[in-house]
Amino acid sequence: MTGGTFSWNGRDVAFRAGESIGAALAGAGVDALGHDPAGRATRWFCGIGACQNCLVRVGGRLVEACLTPAEDGLVVVSADVAEEIDR
Amino acid sequence: MNRAPVLVVGGGPAGLAAAARLADAGRAVDLVELRPALGGAYHRRPIPGVAPWPIGRAGEARWTRLAAGIERPEIRVRLRTGFLGVDGAGFTLLDDRTTGRVETMRPAAIVIATGAVEMVRPRSGWELPGVTTAGGLQVMMKETGRIPEGRILLAGSGPLLVALAGQMVAAGRPPAAIVETGDPFAHPIAGLGLLAHPGPLLEAAGHMARIFAARVPWRRATTLEAIEPTDAGLAVTLVDRRGARERIVVDRVALHDGIRSNDHGFPEASPTASALPFVAWAGDCREVLGVAAAEIDGARIGEEIAARLAGAPIATTSAIRRLAAARQAQDVLARVFAPARPPTPIERLPRETILCRCEGRTVGDLVDLLEGADAPGGREIKLSGRFSMGACQGRFCAHWVAEAAAGLRPDAPPPTPHDLTGRRWPSRPVSIAALVASNSSPDEPTRPT
Ligand code: FES
Repeated sequence: MTGGTFSWNGRDVAFRAGESIGAALAGAGVDALGHDPAGRATRWFCGIGACQNCLVRVGGRLVEACLTPAEDGLVVVSADVAEEIDR
Repeated sequence: MNRAPVLVVGGGPAGLAAAARLADAGRAVDLVELRPALGGAYHRRPIPGVAPWPIGRAGEARWTRLAAGIERPEIRVRLRTGFLGVDGAGFTLLDDRTTGRVETMRPAAIVIATGAVEMVRPRSGWELPGVTTAGGLQVMMKETGRIPEGRILLAGSGPLLVALAGQMVAAGRPPAAIVETGDPFAHPIAGLGLLAHPGPLLEAAGHMARIFAARVPWRRATTLEAIEPTDAGLAVTLVDRRGARERIVVDRVALHDGIRSNDHGFPEASPTASALPFVAWAGDCREVLGVAAAEIDGARIGEEIAARLAGAPIATTSAIRRLAAARQAQDVLARVFAPARPPTPIERLPRETILCRCEGRTVGDLVDLLEGADAPGGREIKLSGRFSMGACQGRFCAHWVAEAAAGLRPDAPPPTPHDLTGRRWPSRPVSIAALVASNSSPDEPTRPT
């Protein structure tokens, strides 16, 4: 797999091959990932899949941004964005 | 080979070492790892084209040994696969993140090797974006070879902060400061105990030399009290040993107040081999003793399970003695990094301090809950107070909620973190569609032999 770009809330974010969605977002200066059901901003915290603070939505599923590899053309939105935003 | 495989959960040093020993004994092994790469936290592998983070010669040798140990036909490595749970009959659910399917299997035994999680004491603002755990920042650096932009403050306690700072200096991006609650140099006698453990001592000395050469402020006996978002960045309040406060502004804060076993939501270890599948725990998730001990413990558990499944006696090895030495080293470190002043009890933190991040529950919420009714027990704190109920399963808050509850109700029996969390599974988000699509009753379950 090579690097590429994925869509983050409608904006293109570049990633290098093998990078997680969360690491690529951090590289692009995105720290606040969205809001949890209680309305609080979410973020990369533990980096190991334990805290569930980094949940984002990929293809309708909630996944941990710190665990999930970025893929070219992937559409990723904040967990509180119900509908996928078209690129 | 139609014997049921042994399931090893976690691709860090303990899991890899256990898998290798099981294969040595002729056992088939399914090794599942949630990430797209093996390694665990310490041996987190970089993405292609990025040089591995320098971890010293002993560390490199360990990784070479562990990676070579699983290169064998008996071991099937399944990346991006999570363990969801096991029922009383031994049916085990696995979540394959690549296919989006949940699968069932019936392993002959299960080795839980899920490592450790960091402890982060609640303080005002710890829930903000830009605030990570120190280990969370470190794994991001190891994975990407990059340090996120901006001024980074490391705060809390323990040798991990020193190691992370040393690595950042080596990468040309020293942290803004290290804020250490303990006062390591105040314990020269306790520190002498480390001389018995030259490996970690040399590693620490290397990091310290780099930190001092780069003139990174190392603020000992100082506590990070609060983090506040401002237009200029995160404004951080520090309290020194005399109680004097100081505010500095940084872009990121990495917190770390020690580590503990990542044991929430996993099945308990079986007391005997007669209950199948036999569940054993290995490495930091059993007892936090560090990466070198995790390899030893994994190998020990792998041998033990192979012997039990074969009905053979369990051989005595040097592992127990070596684990005892690692335990002693951890004890010395705990004394060296002991807090210079007793920390503010959780229940006396400002009321609006977030205790449970997932559910947004505060110190004030807990105080009100415990001052209202008759002393609620652990379960009621969770059910009526919604503490430790959230997506992290209390991994980051149950400990503090239990401590605060004990402080608020000194006469009631103190709840344990496990009273609050229970052993719930699935232990992570899984799509209902994937669950429904799973083959929940395999026609011909493999009999464990
Ligand atoms: S950052 Fe904690 S689960 Fe992803």
